[in-house]
Amino acid sequence: MSNVFRKLATEWKLHLVVVVLVVVSELIYIREIPLGPGIILLLPLLYAFILGGLLNPNVIRRSVGGLVRSREVRAASPYIVIAVMPLIAKFGTLVGPSMKTIIEAGPALILQELGNVGTVLFAFPVAVFLLRMGREVIGAAHSIAREPNVALISDKYGLSSKEGTGVMGVYITGTLFGTIFFAIIASLVGSLNLLHPYALGMACGIGSASMMAACTGALANIFPQMEDQIVAFAGASNILTYGNGLYISLFVTIPICEFLYRRFGREEPEPASTTEGGAAR
Amino acid sequence: MTQAEAERPTINLLDHAILLVVVLAIALIGNFVGPDIPILDALPGMFILYVITMVGLVVTKYAPFYLPSVAWISLVAILVTLPWIPGQEWLGGHLEKVDFLALATPVLAYAGLAITRNEVDTFARSGWKIVVVALLVFLGSYVSSAAVAQAVLTLQGEI
Repeated sequence: MSNVFRKLATEWKLHLVVVVLVVVSELIYIREIPLGPGIILLLPLLYAFILGGLLNPNVIRRSVGGLVRSREVRAASPYIVIAVMPLIAKFGTLVGPSMKTIIEAGPALILQELGNVGTVLFAFPVAVFLLRMGREVIGAAHSIAREPNVALISDKYGLSSKEGTGVMGVYITGTLFGTIFFAIIASLVGSLNLLHPYALGMACGIGSASMMAACTGALANIFPQMEDQIVAFAGASNILTYGNGLYISLFVTIPICEFLYRRFGREEPEPASTTEGGAAR
Repeated sequence: MTQAEAERPTINLLDHAILLVVVLAIALIGNFVGPDIPILDALPGMFILYVITMVGLVVTKYAPFYLPSVAWISLVAILVTLPWIPGQEWLGGHLEKVDFLALATPVLAYAGLAITRNEVDTFARSGWKIVVVALLVFLGSYVSSAAVAQAVLTLQGEI
């Protein structure tokens, strides 16, 4: 019993910093930036992440007054998992009441996972024809690279392979910028009014819980009268992604990437050349 | 598939019971500052989320087969709010007072503070090409998932 309190006593500075970040972020609250025909919504969670990063000595070497040190950084990581639990619970409580609607929309929710094929069709040509990328593209373009996909590529090719470099690059980019990016994409695509809010809501579920929160938060502000359905569809889609995202990668998108690479990829010079990504794991 | 999936991590329920109070207290403050919901109004909803999370963790620990805690927590949350469950309207009334974005703000604050040197280095080493591909992957996944959903919903006559 006393252990957890002793732990908290050594971590008080971390939590105090988080309280300050949360208060500052919520004071700024939601802001709209008009951009061409659409808008970009800025959400408190984005400021909290950016401000947290700015205080982090790993990101900015001389961060403000050395307030946050490596001790706080190490302590912070387990709290991401703990703080995400009530968020997941909240999403679940929005899925439950809409269960009837969700079952009616079941086919769309399940088939929407095949949208991952579109991922390949978007990213692969640019990576191979424009950027002249090597086998990294198989790891990079096959999915949005959340933990299960990283585990899968690691299993199949090893993380120090080129495919591993590709998947880790997308994974890290997603960890650092995924939330920001999701908020921007969802607000832009949402404000263009091309697709129905239900469909946009379902697509919010393809990433991590924080990406989903950013995505649905942006949509809910554009379509406030449909907030409940948007969040319910996103939550349901996210649960399905946990369940079948891995299999879509394994049986559909990795084979497609492999096939396309054999047809259109550049010849690999035998023992691997030192490309810029070669050293990364 | 992977070893990580087969192994059940040990969950210290007592530690979680206390640490969850800390993160929920921070969310409660944020829920007041941003969405402007008085602390006392949001307190029952926060407590309900606390109980759902703890029940999910207990199930994760003792269930005969292993699923990650977030899966069990989702499942418990969905079950207790199904329209056929008595009392779900009462739960919903209180849960409404907790803004989901306010729950996400502390998650991202911890996440920003938790970025490791290793992550920054890996990102720097990955090279700009992979970053460009990553952004295309995110855009492509979102737009094509939404497009497929739109097509199927239209075919079904749901929208």
